[in-house]
Amino acid sequence: MSKKKFLGGKDSNAYIVFYSAVMVIIVAVLLAFTSLSLKERQDANVLNEKKDAIVASLGLDKGSYDQYIEAYVVNAQGEKIETEVAPLQMLFDLPASFAAGEYPVFENKESGEVVFPLTGKGLWDDIWGYVALEADMNTIKGAIFDHAGETPGLGAEIATAKFQAQFVGQTIYEGNQLVGIEVVKGGAQGAPHSVDAVTGGTKTSEGLENMIKDCIGYYDAFMKARTAAATATEDVVLTENAE
Amino acid sequence: MKNKTFQSLTNPLAKNNPVLVQILGICSALAVTTQLKPAFVMGLSVVAVCAFSNLILSLLRNTIPDRIRIIVQLVVIATLVTLVNDVLKAYVYDVSKQLSVYVGLIITNCIIMGRVEAFALSNKPLLSLLDGIGNGLGYGAVLVIIGFFRELLGNGTLFGYQIIPECFYEAGYVNNGLMLFPPAALIIVGIIIWVHRSYNKDLQEK
Repeated sequence: MSKKKFLGGKDSNAYIVFYSAVMVIIVAVLLAFTSLSLKERQDANVLNEKKDAIVASLGLDKGSYDQYIEAYVVNAQGEKIETEVAPLQMLFDLPASFAAGEYPVFENKESGEVVFPLTGKGLWDDIWGYVALEADMNTIKGAIFDHAGETPGLGAEIATAKFQAQFVGQTIYEGNQLVGIEVVKGGAQGAPHSVDAVTGGTKTSEGLENMIKDCIGYYDAFMKARTAAATATEDVVLTENAE
Repeated sequence: MKNKTFQSLTNPLAKNNPVLVQILGICSALAVTTQLKPAFVMGLSVVAVCAFSNLILSLLRNTIPDRIRIIVQLVVIATLVTLVNDVLKAYVYDVSKQLSVYVGLIITNCIIMGRVEAFALSNKPLLSLLDGIGNGLGYGAVLVIIGFFRELLGNGTLFGYQIIPECFYEAGYVNNGLMLFPPAALIIVGIIIWVHRSYNKDLQEK
């Protein structure tokens, strides 16, 4: 008789159960350990990317976030509110913040330009971005978009500088009415609220258009309040000059 | 012996290329090759996963119960891919963003499991490691060739840099939109296989 094998040999049920259990425990410990030890670095990367995207939409250099940006949160009425979560942290779960009626604003302290974060759905997965407005709260200064899994070469083109450059100088208000930006094939030439859609990326383009309209809509009251305040200041200045 | 070791590394590059001859991994060859950079990094990631899964499973090969060997292979491969993904996210964030979902899809790449099942489980660790590297490189090389043509003809760029000069566009040149769609990858794979077989006559079916 051969010598006794461990748990009755390789093909016994006991051995298979034991083998699987050990394997799963080792793998679980290994993955949990790497995930935890790399988490800090990964989060820092993501946060840096968000900061850079915000300043990039304003046309500022990478890494200049802390120098220029003042972040705060407004509610649907456009009033500044205090929240438990910092505005930058809200970007990690923007849909939840929007749903809670908390809308983060990133303002360039020097110029009064503001950046609004956007979040929406593309064809395959989430898309998001930042749109920077001039101090007139109407003209787009710059726009940055990104995506989790749109098709490279097609929907993913929304993340290219060439596509995003089209947004510069477009306006989002028609009189007093917020219209957003149309993303259409061919792009209505010379139209003030329209850009050329991505060829072969129709669904992504539609998602992008809806995202801009919906998310900027949350800030409607805020932008109107800002415009009203600016006009009031101008009036005061004019009156003072007249005297 | 020396010769066999060397061959397990070089064979998959040409004579026994996983994509061109074994016709494995075609699905991802279509998905990640619209541009050169993701194709390149995808190739590297597959080299890493294929090499280590072959090595680990070859080391374990005498302990793995036959009845659950596919599950064990899958667990090892999935673990490696998750590790690669985590490391990419932490240290080369830009690249990991380029690859997005495709890193996770390495788990389902038929080449990796195919090589483990066909080679690593019946060969020594060193040979298996080399076989893994060779197959990963063979796959990556084909990806890079496809990515090269698709990005150049479809977008006029390589690695994101404009290659086709602006004056061509002014003279009426248009990027070929078909190149950005999956069928273009199949057509290019077909052409590569054609060229490949005309050089390797013994691969031609009579």
